Amino acid sequence: MKTNTTTGDGFNIEINGTVGTPFTDNAKMGSRNCDVFYADKQAIFDINLDIGKHEIIAMIGPSGCGKSTYLRVLNRMNDTIPICRVTGEHTLDDEDIYAKKMDPVLLRARVGMVFQKPNPFPKSIYDNVAYGARLHGLASNRSELDDLVEASLIKAGLFKEVKDDLQKSGTGLSGGQQQRLCIARAIAVDPEVILMDEPTSALDPIATALIEELMDELRQNYTIAIVTHSMQQAARVSQRTAYFHMGKLVEVNATDKVFTNPEHQLTENYITGRFG
Amino acid sequence: MELGEHISQRYNQELEDIRSKVLKMGGLVEAQAENGVKALLQRDAELAENVATADDKINALEVEIDEDCVQVIALRQPTASDLRLVFAVGKVITDLERLGDEAAKIGKYSKKLAKKKTITGMHAELSHLSELALSLLHDSLDAFARLDDERAVQLLAKNDKINREFNALSRILITHMMENPRNIKNALRISWCARSLERIGRYSINICEHVVYLVKGKDIRHTDLDEVLAELFPDDDL
Amino acid sequence: MSETTKKIQQGLKKRYAREKRFRFFGLLSILISFTFLLVLLTTISSKGLPAFQQTYIKLDVLLDEDVLGVNKTSEHQALFAANYGKVIKNSLKTMFPNVKGRKQKRALKNLVSKSAAYDLRDEVIKNPDLLGTTRSFWFLAKDDIDMFMKGKIDRNVPEADRRIKDYQLLWIEQLMTEERLEKRFNTVLFSAGDSREPEQAGLKGAVMGSLFTMLVTFFLSFPIAVAAAAYLEEFAPQNNRWVDMIEININNLAAVPSIVFGLLGLAVYISFFGIPRSTPLIGGLVLALMSLPTIIIASRAAIKSVPSSIKEAAVGLGASPIQVLFQHTLPLAMPGILTGTIIGMAQALGETAPLLMIGMVAFVAEVPSGVMDPSTVMPVQIYLWSDSPERAFTERTSAAIMVLLGFLVLMNLFAIMLRKKFERHW
Repeated sequence: MKTNTTTGDGFNIEINGTVGTPFTDNAKMGSRNCDVFYADKQAIFDINLDIGKHEIIAMIGPSGCGKSTYLRVLNRMNDTIPICRVTGEHTLDDEDIYAKKMDPVLLRARVGMVFQKPNPFPKSIYDNVAYGARLHGLASNRSELDDLVEASLIKAGLFKEVKDDLQKSGTGLSGGQQQRLCIARAIAVDPEVILMDEPTSALDPIATALIEELMDELRQNYTIAIVTHSMQQAARVSQRTAYFHMGKLVEVNATDKVFTNPEHQLTENYITGRFG
Repeated sequence: MELGEHISQRYNQELEDIRSKVLKMGGLVEAQAENGVKALLQRDAELAENVATADDKINALEVEIDEDCVQVIALRQPTASDLRLVFAVGKVITDLERLGDEAAKIGKYSKKLAKKKTITGMHAELSHLSELALSLLHDSLDAFARLDDERAVQLLAKNDKINREFNALSRILITHMMENPRNIKNALRISWCARSLERIGRYSINICEHVVYLVKGKDIRHTDLDEVLAELFPDDDL
Repeated sequence: MSETTKKIQQGLKKRYAREKRFRFFGLLSILISFTFLLVLLTTISSKGLPAFQQTYIKLDVLLDEDVLGVNKTSEHQALFAANYGKVIKNSLKTMFPNVKGRKQKRALKNLVSKSAAYDLRDEVIKNPDLLGTTRSFWFLAKDDIDMFMKGKIDRNVPEADRRIKDYQLLWIEQLMTEERLEKRFNTVLFSAGDSREPEQAGLKGAVMGSLFTMLVTFFLSFPIAVAAAAYLEEFAPQNNRWVDMIEININNLAAVPSIVFGLLGLAVYISFFGIPRSTPLIGGLVLALMSLPTIIIASRAAIKSVPSSIKEAAVGLGASPIQVLFQHTLPLAMPGILTGTIIGMAQALGETAPLLMIGMVAFVAEVPSGVMDPSTVMPVQIYLWSDSPERAFTERTSAAIMVLLGFLVLMNLFAIMLRKKFERHW
């Protein structure tokens, strides 16, 4: 049998800037000339991208293409890695998020994050959701906190399932429930943007469908950027899709365009499965 | 359009199978149309009979390819060019099946015409129209086989020519019918054949449109030809 | 059957044999170590168990006010200073009137322990109305009598080589027939400090000394070690030459012979800072130094094993690094940290060598009441007793070892309990 290596034809195509429509008029977040370095190694090359208000933007691309790294630029999660250096301009509502006066704690309250592996704290469901609110002092008394926890769980579509078990450990839930708990935890702080780093990669199709449905509802109030390895998921949930390749942003277009008639040859090769 | 191979060899093979089946179906349809025209022009009743009844293979292929397309959509979830290929194929085979029907119709009427004394002076017009229709069919299938969108767009212009020929032929038939009402029956049969030839031209144009969609991802149906040219080939002077 | 299957089948037998052999050796080594442990434990307990019993002698004592020189109205001072030994001696004399010669008289007096006089004194002070009456008292027997009662002295050995002479045997027999000899649970072992007299020697001083030392060690080493581990794991700059050097040094310190820490303590704490020697404070300081690297290494491993996803989740919600550390990393690492701490503490509890250097090997009869009182610790007590010539100290040494082992088991149980508690908390 013939084997196909990942260094097929697709890798020899040159990338000259981003094709498609990386910029929007109603940008919630935006990056200009974004470079990211890990020590001396450059991981991301000159990314220019806007994320529109109330849109779900999907970031796809092969492993190691820099999509997760870029996502972490947007709430300064990369700050926790000492050797990581981020350059370029990054804005949230036209504020520079890498400015000296921007407090990363405040930024992360405004730009929440949901991770690949469901990572509830080993505390009760209630404490998990209340964590951020307690951290930032969002509730002045117990009943306010109760309401906030309940509202967040309702928004995350988890309340019905756990309303009698709020004091049980969050780690005892199923994978899909855990991930929705993490989403509830993130939205309890009432962020403006939610970053999702492969939120369903560890979940079964039904749990995945629930979370995708949830994302669609959340879009009314939040701006969502999702990194995903599942192209079908990107196609299902997002309005715009950004294709990353070897640290570069190759193409950004409306999702239906990307999946029926992508502009760039590399995007075409990736989404049709011509290299992995 | 030049694409690398899929990582999945079987996926490659499945798409390739579909494509080659479509080409095979195209070949059958082309042969049917050619034979029908031959039977019409040469008044060959036997050939006409063959054409009239040989539609089954084409129909069977249509069903088979349809199933293959459904399989690929269900199992492979094709995207981008693959999705367009599957979708275009689905439409092309519908057109091919109709083309086969039209060829069979020509066969059916040719059989009847072969036994009758036909209106003289129609042979030239008919053969001209047939030539146009057959060459358009051939070229459009060729464009599909080569995924040649430029050629396909060029072919779009030929539809007008066929329409003009068909209209001219119709006028002559009307004259004949008015001259001698006994001609009406045969004139109508000839008219039906001409109509089928016109349809063959139209369906071939459809195939060309599908080729453009398949290659460029652009739906050019119901669009002005000049607009299409300007949008698809802005740099070329066609 | 394909060629490959055949090949696999041929090899299978060998593979299974190898597995069986390996399992057998594993089982064997476990059996061997278990046997060693069993031998050790049986030797120690067979030697030590008798020490938990002690022989007592019942004497009818006439608390003669004339002999004692006090009466019921005497001051406490006078009661305290009275010659109770004489009363006991008189009681023995009346019981064995035929005793002649200095040697035999002294032997007679030595039937009961020297502590008998003190016990009697305490009774009288407690209840002066006893004066002038004749009462029966149970007194601690002298160690030789105790040894004989426990069968440690063989009657058939020629008299010249025997600690108990023939006339003493007669007395013992008479006491036994009068049911004046009895073995009771040895409370002295747990309530008294050290003594030159085996029957009066107890472990309380050493236990308390160990306790105070461990407290000092714990409260010094635990916070310092956890803070150091947390800093090195979470905050220290990576690839920094200084940090690397510190890490290497910590790892090396764990392997330094413990006596070196003793020398260090002697040089720095005692000579330079002038901390009093022989106290639990200095012992704790030295042992803290010794157990620091162990706890740091264990704590670092525990902190490192906290999943980064949890920390990321907290950071992603806007927690500051310190909040992440105290709200997530440390609580999750706590079972591991505690295990490391208990191991370090257990090591410190059993340590002798460094303490020899800082004077904790001294004979201390008093039970310490604080970290500044001179004291000894259990392993040192064991060392001291094992060095004593008296026969009765042999069994006390083993008993002390049993008590020490008991404490270690308790500490481990405590560690398991803590771990369970923290794990349930998740």
